[in-house]
Amino acid sequence: MVEVKSIQKSFGGTEVLKGVDLKVEQGDVVAILGPSGSGKTTLLRCMNFLERAQSGQLIFDGRTYDLHKITKKEIAQIRRKTAFVFQNYNLFLNKTALQNVTEGLTIARKMDKAKAEEIARGALEKVGLSDRCDYYPSQLSGGQQQRVAIARALAVDPEIIYFDEPTSALDPELTGEVLTVMRKLAEEGMTMLVVTHEMGFARNVSSKVVFMEDGVVVESAPSKEFFENPRSERTREFIRLIQQE
Amino acid sequence: MSERLWGILVDSFPKILVPGLTMTLPLTAIAFAFAMVLAIFMALVQFANVPVLKQLSRFHIWVFRGTPLLLQLMLIFYGLPNLGILIEPFPAAVLVFSLNEGAYCAEIVRAALEAVPSGQLEAGYCVGMSYLQTMRRIVLPQAMRTAFPSLANSLIAMMKDTSLASTITVTEMLMASQRIIARTYEPLALYMEAGVIYLLFSTVLTKLQQIGEKKLGAYTAKEG
Repeated sequence: MVEVKSIQKSFGGTEVLKGVDLKVEQGDVVAILGPSGSGKTTLLRCMNFLERAQSGQLIFDGRTYDLHKITKKEIAQIRRKTAFVFQNYNLFLNKTALQNVTEGLTIARKMDKAKAEEIARGALEKVGLSDRCDYYPSQLSGGQQQRVAIARALAVDPEIIYFDEPTSALDPELTGEVLTVMRKLAEEGMTMLVVTHEMGFARNVSSKVVFMEDGVVVESAPSKEFFENPRSERTREFIRLIQQE
Repeated sequence: MSERLWGILVDSFPKILVPGLTMTLPLTAIAFAFAMVLAIFMALVQFANVPVLKQLSRFHIWVFRGTPLLLQLMLIFYGLPNLGILIEPFPAAVLVFSLNEGAYCAEIVRAALEAVPSGQLEAGYCVGMSYLQTMRRIVLPQAMRTAFPSLANSLIAMMKDTSLASTITVTEMLMASQRIIARTYEPLALYMEAGVIYLLFSTVLTKLQQIGEKKLGAYTAKEG
């Protein structure tokens, strides 16, 4: 469904992604693991064009795009079919929870207001926040804000949702409520690509794990295999370390 | 206070207040409206890095912040006729105050735009909105909220600066008071009276600022 090939990205003289390949099939929940600075977030941001890669291909819905030469119009088309959940939520601060969700429908997709609100209320109900529709982000807890962000992502009926460390800014209790929502989405068959440090999520919810370090994919395997039977020495060491915690 | 002086003050109050209402306030309001349009435009082209327009904005701001307002008024009203360009006093004042205030407000708005977290723009892109849509619906409204107190401050400062328009024969409050002084030789009392009316206007504007901030503050009410 979504695939990237030999994607390269440098900031200044530092090469952050050194030719990464990644494939996500429909219905997959792929967790990208790896130490800080390994390029996980950059990979995700390049896939949604928040960063422009120096080279590489993106295959989306059967069409191949050159990541460096892709046009604004093509980017807009792809973004319309994807959604992104940020580490620090990035809710529109001047909009209520409901407006945060409707904005992408009424403004970007020209849907009429009544229909957009109906969809938005449904999405907020799904993340357990139907009673917070008229609250501004500043009036919500971190966990609630992130759930609104997930509702905002769901509402546009995306083919894939990218999650960039969605729980890293939250305490354990709030992390729990966000992960519960994500698990529910996974069970419903939503295609998700998740950069995370949550080993429980990677092990129990995701179908596939991609382990990155220093801008390359070290290992990519189904979750069970990744945790129980890692192939590379570096992956074994990584799993040993997290199991000591 | 002598009865004569009291009589002068009572008599002159409407003669100063009326030019205040018909000149000072309209000049302030019209010039500020133009200034805001100019300021938002100049801030946006700088923020978006639009070539040429960005440099023109920087040049405009450099000139109008770098020279005295009084000189700008003199140049437009007394200088331009040398080139055959004659502008009536009131339009000349509107022109100079708009351009000058626009330069200052552009800097306020630009700083406020830059203070909006970059994630807001990214989030707009990710829900499928274009740059212009996100700027108009998300970034600019937040920036204007941030800029509001500074802009109100600048508006109050400009209202008082319109007294300089008296030098290009606009009959605003200061000029009105000076005419009465020329007749009565009571500068102390009459300048004080004019000062009180300016204070009255500033107080109303300050009150409006408070109301505006409260209204705009809805989404930041419980921050932290």
